[in-house]
Amino acid sequence: MIQELVRMQNINKYYGRIHALRDVSLTVNTHEVVGLLGDNGAGKSTLIKVLSGAVPMTSGQIYVKGKEVQMKSTTDAIANGIETIYQDSALVPQLSIARNLFLGREPVKGARLFNRLDHDAMNEVARTLLKRVGITKDIPPTTPIGALSGGERQAVAIARAMHFESNLIILDEPTNNLGVAETQGVLRFVREVRDTGHSCIFIAHNIHHVFQVVDRIVVMRGGKIVADNIDPKKSTIEEVERVITGEHLIEALGLDHG
Amino acid sequence: MDNRSFVQRFIAKPEFGPLVLLILEIAIFWSINPDFLSPLNISNTLAFTVELGLIALAMTLLMTSGEFDLSVGSVFGLSAVVMWTVFNTGLAPLPVAFLIAIGLAMLIGFVNGWFVTRLAIPSFLVTLGMLLIARGSALYITDGFPQRTWNAEDQWLAQVLVGEFYVGGFRVYMSLLWFVLFAFLAHYVLTQTKAGNWIQASGGNPNAARARGVNVRRTKVLLFMTSSAMAAFAGIISSIRTSAANPNSGTSYELEVIAMVVIGGTVLTGGRGTIIGTVIGIFILRIMRNGIVMVGVPGLAYNIFIGAIILAMMALHSWLERRHNAGT
Repeated sequence: MIQELVRMQNINKYYGRIHALRDVSLTVNTHEVVGLLGDNGAGKSTLIKVLSGAVPMTSGQIYVKGKEVQMKSTTDAIANGIETIYQDSALVPQLSIARNLFLGREPVKGARLFNRLDHDAMNEVARTLLKRVGITKDIPPTTPIGALSGGERQAVAIARAMHFESNLIILDEPTNNLGVAETQGVLRFVREVRDTGHSCIFIAHNIHHVFQVVDRIVVMRGGKIVADNIDPKKSTIEEVERVITGEHLIEALGLDHG
Repeated sequence: MDNRSFVQRFIAKPEFGPLVLLILEIAIFWSINPDFLSPLNISNTLAFTVELGLIALAMTLLMTSGEFDLSVGSVFGLSAVVMWTVFNTGLAPLPVAFLIAIGLAMLIGFVNGWFVTRLAIPSFLVTLGMLLIARGSALYITDGFPQRTWNAEDQWLAQVLVGEFYVGGFRVYMSLLWFVLFAFLAHYVLTQTKAGNWIQASGGNPNAARARGVNVRRTKVLLFMTSSAMAAFAGIISSIRTSAANPNSGTSYELEVIAMVVIGGTVLTGGRGTIIGTVIGIFILRIMRNGIVMVGVPGLAYNIFIGAIILAMMALHSWLERRHNAGT
C-alpha cells in the first residue's frame, strides 16, 4: 500500500542574504523512486542537505511517517531512516567492506570488557549483501574500499543503507564519473532498493539515467519546486529539459521570438 | 577469493619492508661486531627501547586517528619532575605522587584534544604550544636542576615499574613486561575491537564516521589522553631507572617516536596503523643507535642514518601504496 513516508513542508533556507530554498514542499511516498532535477544553483543540493541533516533549515517542518522530526545532524537523519549516499564520501577508504558496512553498529562477541568484533558475522552478512546488490564478482569482504571501483563503492553504500532498514535512500549524483557498465549497475541497485520496499530520491545531471529508473520527476528552479509530478512514461526528455531551464514559460508567453 | 599465495600476501603487508630492514640491520651489526648480540648488550638495548616504545604504541593509535602529539617529549620530562617533587617535598607518598603525575598528564592530553577537536586547530600547532608549556613548567618547577630520586630503592612502586630480575644471564627490567603488555593490548584494541574500528574510521574519513554515529571527538580526545599518560608513564620509568628526574629529559623524543611509528608503516595522515609495524620501527631505530656505536661509527652520525632510513621507508611505503591502489 502506498503511504506518505517523508513530507517536507514550507522549507526556507537562507545562506546569509541568499534565499536558497523558497517555501519548498515535497512529499515522498513509500515504494517510490523520485527523480530530483534542476540546473546548477536550483536548490537541489540544499534541499538534500536539509533533509539529511547536513545543514539546518531557516524555517519549515519535516515529517517522517506523519510525525514531525528535528534534523539537527546527519545522525538524526539516519536515526529517522533517511540515508544520504554521496559519491565516495560515505565510506572509509582504508577500512574493509565488512568494517565499513558495520561502522558505528559493529556486532561484538565475548565478555563485556573484553568484547571483540564478530568478524565471522560481519563477513557473512557482507557476502550476502554484496550478492543482493548485484555484485556477482567474487570480492572478499575483507577488501579495503580503496581497492574498489566507483560503482562498487556506491553498491556497498547502498547495501549498507538497505541492511540497516533505511526507509529513504537519497542518492546524490550517483552516476557521476562512472563508466557505462557501472552506471547500469547503480541503476540496477536503485530498482533493487524500490523492489525491497525502500524509497529513493535520485539526483542526477544526466536526465537519461533519471528517466530509466524513477516513478516521478520533481523539477526545481531558482530555489522553488516548479513541477512535482512529471510521469517519465508520459513525458519526453526534451519536455523535462524545457521545464528545467524555464523555456516552456518563455514559449507560453510567446517571448522566444521576440 | 584471494588467489595469491601466502608469500605474496606476506610481502604485500605494510610490515614486510620494515621487517626486512630490521633483519638486515641486525645481521650487518652482528657480522661486524659479534658482541652486538651479547646478553649484556641486548639487555641494555631493551631497557632504553621500551621507554620510547611505550610512547610509540600510544602515538600509533593517535596517528591512526589522524592526529599526532608533539608534546610527548616534554610530558615525559615534566611528569617525572612532578612526581619526584611531590614526593621529595613530603607532600604525598610515592604511589599518590605517581597518580598525580599521571593525572596531570591526562589533563594535558585532554586540553590537547579539546583544542584540536572543539576549536579545530591542527594538532601540530596545539601540541607545539603544549610542548613549550610542559617543558617550561618542568624547568620552572625545578629551577632547571634535576630532582633526586635515590630514595626510590625501597619503594614497591619503583620495583613494580622498573625492578630488575635475571633470566639466565639476562638482566630484565620490569618495564619490558609493561611494554609487552601494552603492545598486545594496543594491537588487540586496534584490530579486534569496536574502538579500533572507530579509531581507523576517525582518521580515514571523519565525516563518514560521524555520519554513522561514531563519536570522532571523544575518540580523539581519549587518544590524546592516552598518549600523554603513556609519555608520563615512560618518563617516570626512565627517571627511576636512571636515578634522575631531569627537567630537560625527553627533549626531541617526540620526533624520534613519530619516526618509529611512520617507519613501521602507520600513515601520518591517518586511517591506517599497525602496532606490529611500530614495534619493528621501535627496534629499527634503537638498534641503529646502539649498533652504530658498537661498530665504531661516531655516535654523532646517528641522525644521518635515521634520516636516510625514514626517507627510504617512506619511498617504499609510497611505492607499495601505488601498487596496492593499482590492484596488483
